[in-house]
Amino acid sequence: MQRIKTLKKVVLVVFAIIAVRLFFIQIIEHDAWVARADETHTLLETIVAERGEIYMMDAGEPVPVVLNQTVYSVVIDPAVTNREKITDALNKYAKDNISADLDWVFSREGLRYYVVAKNVSHTNASKIAEEGINGVWFKESNQRFYPEGKMASGLLGFVNADGLGQYGVEGSMNHLLAGKNGLLKTISDINNVALSIGNDNVKIAAEDGKDVVLSVDRGLEQRVEELASATVNKTVATHASVLVLEAETNEVLAMANLPNYDPGNYGYVKDASAYTNYVTQVPYEPASVCKSFAFSAAINEGAMNSNTTYFNEHYTTVDGWKIQNASKRASLYGTIDMKKAFYWSLNTASIQALRLLGGDPTSINQAGREKLYDYYYNKFRLGQATGIGLLEAASSIPDPNEGYGRNSTYANMTFGQNLNITMIQTATAFSAVVNGGYYRSPSILKGTLENSKIVPVDSEKTEEQILSFETSATMRDMLINNHYTYTRPGYDIGGKSGTAQMIIDGAYDATMENTVASYAGFVAASGEMPSYVIMVKMWNDTGAYLAGSDAMLLFDDIANYLIDYFQIKPGVV
Amino acid sequence: MRNQTFVTRRAPSSSFVRGRNTVRVNKRSLGSISQIVIVSMLTLAFGLIYVAEGTKATSFDYEISAVESEISDLAARRDDLAVEKARLTSVAAAKNSTVAAVMEDATVTGYAAD
Repeated sequence: MQRIKTLKKVVLVVFAIIAVRLFFIQIIEHDAWVARADETHTLLETIVAERGEIYMMDAGEPVPVVLNQTVYSVVIDPAVTNREKITDALNKYAKDNISADLDWVFSREGLRYYVVAKNVSHTNASKIAEEGINGVWFKESNQRFYPEGKMASGLLGFVNADGLGQYGVEGSMNHLLAGKNGLLKTISDINNVALSIGNDNVKIAAEDGKDVVLSVDRGLEQRVEELASATVNKTVATHASVLVLEAETNEVLAMANLPNYDPGNYGYVKDASAYTNYVTQVPYEPASVCKSFAFSAAINEGAMNSNTTYFNEHYTTVDGWKIQNASKRASLYGTIDMKKAFYWSLNTASIQALRLLGGDPTSINQAGREKLYDYYYNKFRLGQATGIGLLEAASSIPDPNEGYGRNSTYANMTFGQNLNITMIQTATAFSAVVNGGYYRSPSILKGTLENSKIVPVDSEKTEEQILSFETSATMRDMLINNHYTYTRPGYDIGGKSGTAQMIIDGAYDATMENTVASYAGFVAASGEMPSYVIMVKMWNDTGAYLAGSDAMLLFDDIANYLIDYFQIKPGVV
Repeated sequence: MRNQTFVTRRAPSSSFVRGRNTVRVNKRSLGSISQIVIVSMLTLAFGLIYVAEGTKATSFDYEISAVESEISDLAARRDDLAVEKARLTSVAAAKNSTVAAVMEDATVTGYAAD
């Protein structure tokens, strides 16, 4: 009887302990236990939005140049996986993707997890999985695929490991391409399968990024890069940038930067400058190409025409500075007309144009500076972002009335020094010079691809006639006269070269041993408005002499190719 | 057939009215144990229905999961095919193809503006 009483007491005590513990768990520590339970059973994951793809045009149809691909890493447990079977399977289906020395992996004791192949396609990963080898599993990831390899890498940019677009189109149009991730929060079972039970489930669908279509022509881009590469190899240049615009709309048809890099393996690039799009991101001095703008301004203001003459002494003095011509042929000394001076790219002629702009043929004055500034900055929009939708560098045009040595600064500006402008600004302004006088914002985004149709994207566009039709015609005539290297019956090909001194230790390198070569020109059927504007820039990153005529040779190759590629009908000779 | 007890009685003469029913029905009620059993069974039945519905919902979740997995699988295959198509139709591939190798150089036979 006593034992039973004792047993009862023990049972009571045990129950009391359990009751107290349950009280603590269910009442006092309620929130903490609920949180732990939620942590165990709640599936919280981001629904990753699919990044938009990038297209170029080919024969009027969009073709992909950047795609998404689901790829897999093959992971093995060397302690369990059959060595011969996995080796055979990898060699059979993913030979190019093997990322580890299998002999080493299987010789390591205690190794239970190792990635033996990376970036295996879904098809090949499925075939490996079908082999049914123990201790093999697959880790899924997404990567960008570039069917054209290195082509247009400076334009396209890349996507980094965090899925963020970097440089080029990937960086500047990330807002269109990235989309918006969604969210899934739900109760899940032990296998992480989302269950609909529970009251706090949340599912916000992801918004996939948009597919963007560039106006760039894939075939032309490829050929332009081949031609640029061949020219770089023939000269001392290490770099070349090329821009091709459709003259009537200023749509970009090609934008090349050499040397290219492999955007799929961007991490292997040693010099980050390889990522740069020199057409839009790097301001520079295009040198004598800018004479086209100074001459246009003076002609448009009625201050001179192509027959206007001045006395050329091979140099002129401004603010006490002696500014010389590159060409000092005896035959050029004396009275010379502007057309001839433009052909020989005489600095004294462009400075004379500035003097004439100010109404005084003997000196540069404030009125001349202000007019040149008005044309350069307000009309040609040099020094202003073009709004093309790519990363654009800050650039500058000196103020006409502030600072030291304004007259010499503006004298230099007439032949493209003492200013910092980008290729895209220069080419757009040049297009206005030759296309009838219309400044039109350049564009590269044709639209987004929705249901196989290109939907235009709203963007601010500027269209303004800044030069008279007659001024533009006069300039075209002078530019055609300038172009002496290549003629093709039935076609008008014109342009202006530029050989810019590089600034070394804060001053222009007077030796002319380090230069940047530029050429801006156009192609037209004879007697008709220009069809295409082409701009070329070449340089050596460690310094070397490159003349504008070197850039002109590449321009000629591209101009000739354009005529055949776009089947431009010849005009009346 | 329900059992009923009919008791006829003569009502006091003052309240006896011709044509009025004088039959009283005594209803037999369930015992307390029967009530507990019935309530328990009903509770059990509702519980089973609830569990069955819950299981059914969960089984749909597994079906959805399987379908989503299949969609993901097909999307990956679609991407693979798109990549392969892009690879085969790339400029470089076309240029290096055996077909291109035996082609003659193009000559201008017409113009875009014709």
